Amino acid sequence: MNPDLGTIYNFIAQLVPLECMKMHFMQRAFVGLALLAPMCAAMGVQVVNHRMAFFSDAISHSIFAGVAIGMLLAVDPNVTIIMFALAAGLGIVAIARRGKLSTDAIIGVFLSAAVAFGLAVVSKTPSIAGNFRKYLFGDILTIDERQIAFMAGLFVVLFAFQIFGYNRMLYVGLNPALAAGHGVRVRFYQYSFAAMLGLVAVCSIWAVGVLLVTAMLVVPASAARNLARSAGGMFWWSILIGLSSSISGLLISAQPWAATASGPTIILVAVGWFVVSMVVSGVRGRFAR
Amino acid sequence: MAQNNPTIQAAPAVAFSGVTVRAGGVSILESVTAGVPAGSFTAIVGPNGAGKTTLLLAMLGQIAHGGRIEKPPLPDGTAPRIGYVPQKLEFDRGMPLSVMEMMTMGIQRLPVWLWTGREKKRVALELLAAVKAEHLAKRPLGALSGGELQRVLLALAVQRRPHILALDEPVAGVDISGESLLCELLEDLRAKYGLTVIMVTHDLSIVTAHADHVICLNRRVMGEGPVPQTLRPEILSATFGLHLGLAHLHLDGSRHLDCPICRDLENHES
Repeated sequence: MNPDLGTIYNFIAQLVPLECMKMHFMQRAFVGLALLAPMCAAMGVQVVNHRMAFFSDAISHSIFAGVAIGMLLAVDPNVTIIMFALAAGLGIVAIARRGKLSTDAIIGVFLSAAVAFGLAVVSKTPSIAGNFRKYLFGDILTIDERQIAFMAGLFVVLFAFQIFGYNRMLYVGLNPALAAGHGVRVRFYQYSFAAMLGLVAVCSIWAVGVLLVTAMLVVPASAARNLARSAGGMFWWSILIGLSSSISGLLISAQPWAATASGPTIILVAVGWFVVSMVVSGVRGRFAR
Repeated sequence: MAQNNPTIQAAPAVAFSGVTVRAGGVSILESVTAGVPAGSFTAIVGPNGAGKTTLLLAMLGQIAHGGRIEKPPLPDGTAPRIGYVPQKLEFDRGMPLSVMEMMTMGIQRLPVWLWTGREKKRVALELLAAVKAEHLAKRPLGALSGGELQRVLLALAVQRRPHILALDEPVAGVDISGESLLCELLEDLRAKYGLTVIMVTHDLSIVTAHADHVICLNRRVMGEGPVPQTLRPEILSATFGLHLGLAHLHLDGSRHLDCPICRDLENHES
């Protein structure tokens, strides 16, 4: 059963009195991004600080295998990509914790295996290539209410995790041995973060596609890191940049003079923020000398 | 010097019994049996690759090992808390994390981006003051020098009110004045909180100046006990293969300028 979001949609149409926001699909996209952007921004802070951009890339690319399996077994690919994103995230952490191979190498193996498996299935069954394209490029304008409900549930869980586990995650990101020495359950936080990142990556794939998932996570947080002087500041800057880029990107993409795809437009606005942050950081550095 | 410290108790704070660690078919620790007296400043010494850090990490539960490592419970039946200062904190120096945020992240549940209580800040500043680092509270962690970072890590380790403080080569990469300050702070903290200190080091001048118990390690225990009685030529020779002239210096108190350890001690004290 789909949730009734009519009241929220009406409120958004009044809040943003633009012609494009009268469209139902734009209202849905607005709600989707209002949920997704803060999640990506918050997780992005940890992805950037813990140098896990490649890790998030591997998780997002695991959906190639997820879609392929879904197609082969005639199961909804939205279900199989969730399973594969979780399996990739947790699998990489499990093998990396054994410490016999570098994390980069393990991530590389997972990423290659997922992409190769997906492409092998497509080459065998060309009729499913269209489905792959949908996940490769994503589209926030086609998001449905079931997906919004999933995002809303994840939003609650993720921000509960961020509130109760943020300081512990900061400890683990700083140095796992130090964190363990100080009583932090490193394994629990590493696995929880990987699972959460897998689920956020799936939502991002629906919105902007596999190719731009890492950008959703990394660009706002990187710009925030240039602007912030503290860990708390970086978190809030990342939320502000992620949310403002997503909403303004969506609105810009719907203007007749732009008429661009919403996903790339969102990322381009975030990249604009990043350029500004580099300038600010450079000026600040010059004055500090 | 800390020898003959009356706060040392005969009962061990940590007892290693037949501890063995192997990795990739290579033996790192072979049946290590030793004890850390409660309330002592125990140094674990040995050459590079002797397994000193491995033994410490095994004690912290971060490395799988054979044998037993026992930390007897406190009188109230609870397990002793352990504070840990790593050898070199590998972290992203560009991360925007202030010293105050680092100090408060371990003592409050609420995230540092939401709220930091006034009381938590006061406690953090008090601990930083105890290691002469209160002026660093607003500085980014990545901007600290090696000595400053070690002092902040020491404050962080003491924050949990540990019963055992484990330090892995805490003065590596720290200049002489920073090293001296850190060791004095350790003595102060030990006196103030009654800690058992376990320090991995290969700096014998620190051992002779500050430790009262020593474990000489080179994959196996080569010797263990009070410093003057343990740093004997045959034990040092078995441990390091060098420094045969050290023990008599510390037993009779004389200094020989042709001995590198004596020169180390002279520098340390000046």
